[in-house]
Amino acid sequence: MLLALYTIFIYAPLEKTMGVIQKIFYIHVPSAFLAYLAFFITFVASILYLYRKDSKWDTVAHCAVETGVVFCTIVLITGPIWAKPIWNVWWTWDPRLTTTLILWFTYVAYLMLRRTVKENQRANLSAVFGIIGFINVPITFFSIRLWRTIHPVVISSRGFNMSGPMKVSLLIAFLAFCFLFFCILMSRIRLERSKMRVEELNEIIGVMNIKK
Amino acid sequence: MDNSVYLFAAFSITWTLIFVYVFRLFRAQKALDARISAIKETLQDKIELGDS
Repeated sequence: MLLALYTIFIYAPLEKTMGVIQKIFYIHVPSAFLAYLAFFITFVASILYLYRKDSKWDTVAHCAVETGVVFCTIVLITGPIWAKPIWNVWWTWDPRLTTTLILWFTYVAYLMLRRTVKENQRANLSAVFGIIGFINVPITFFSIRLWRTIHPVVISSRGFNMSGPMKVSLLIAFLAFCFLFFCILMSRIRLERSKMRVEELNEIIGVMNIKK
Repeated sequence: MDNSVYLFAAFSITWTLIFVYVFRLFRAQKALDARISAIKETLQDKIELGDS
């Protein structure tokens, strides 16, 4: 992460028209990709849960959504901060911005659903939601190609639209954020498993008290 | 306004958000570990009482 900060602030050159504000891009783009990755993990884990009925996949899906929402929130915060000096507005109803906001609301709704639904229905409903909700991810990703937009296109059919040192900085930032993402996801899964262990132990104590 | 302010805001908000989330996970994990230890002790006591 320190190497990423070094490349972002010292190694990467200043962009000619945007200047220093362009450096937001090194956290905005990796966060967006990791949010998509998190929702893809949820999609796969949800399918596996419905197929195998193993609660471990439900846990993975739930934890990936929570981590994805954190990274999607970063995208929705850093985007407007970049837009204000560049577009002169904090927010505009551009297809990419709108679809990203819908994506964020979709997965916040997933987390709210888990809290409100009864325990016996929770995993099944969440898995279905996790599969259907993923439809939003390709729509968000391809929105800059499907509709007219003012959002910059970083990855086009010709590859990355940036200079060599910028590409290197983005790659290092991306790797650092990937590492952070998987650390957070693994910690979240570990926490959820500890919660399940507590519930199991409480059940054992309950059974022992009944036997007495 | 100097654009550096926006850059500073973006980075500080991002890192604050990540630190708050990680801190919440850490605190929740610590609380759960303590609960697991307490439950294990209770179970151990119950098993020992049952044996005697």
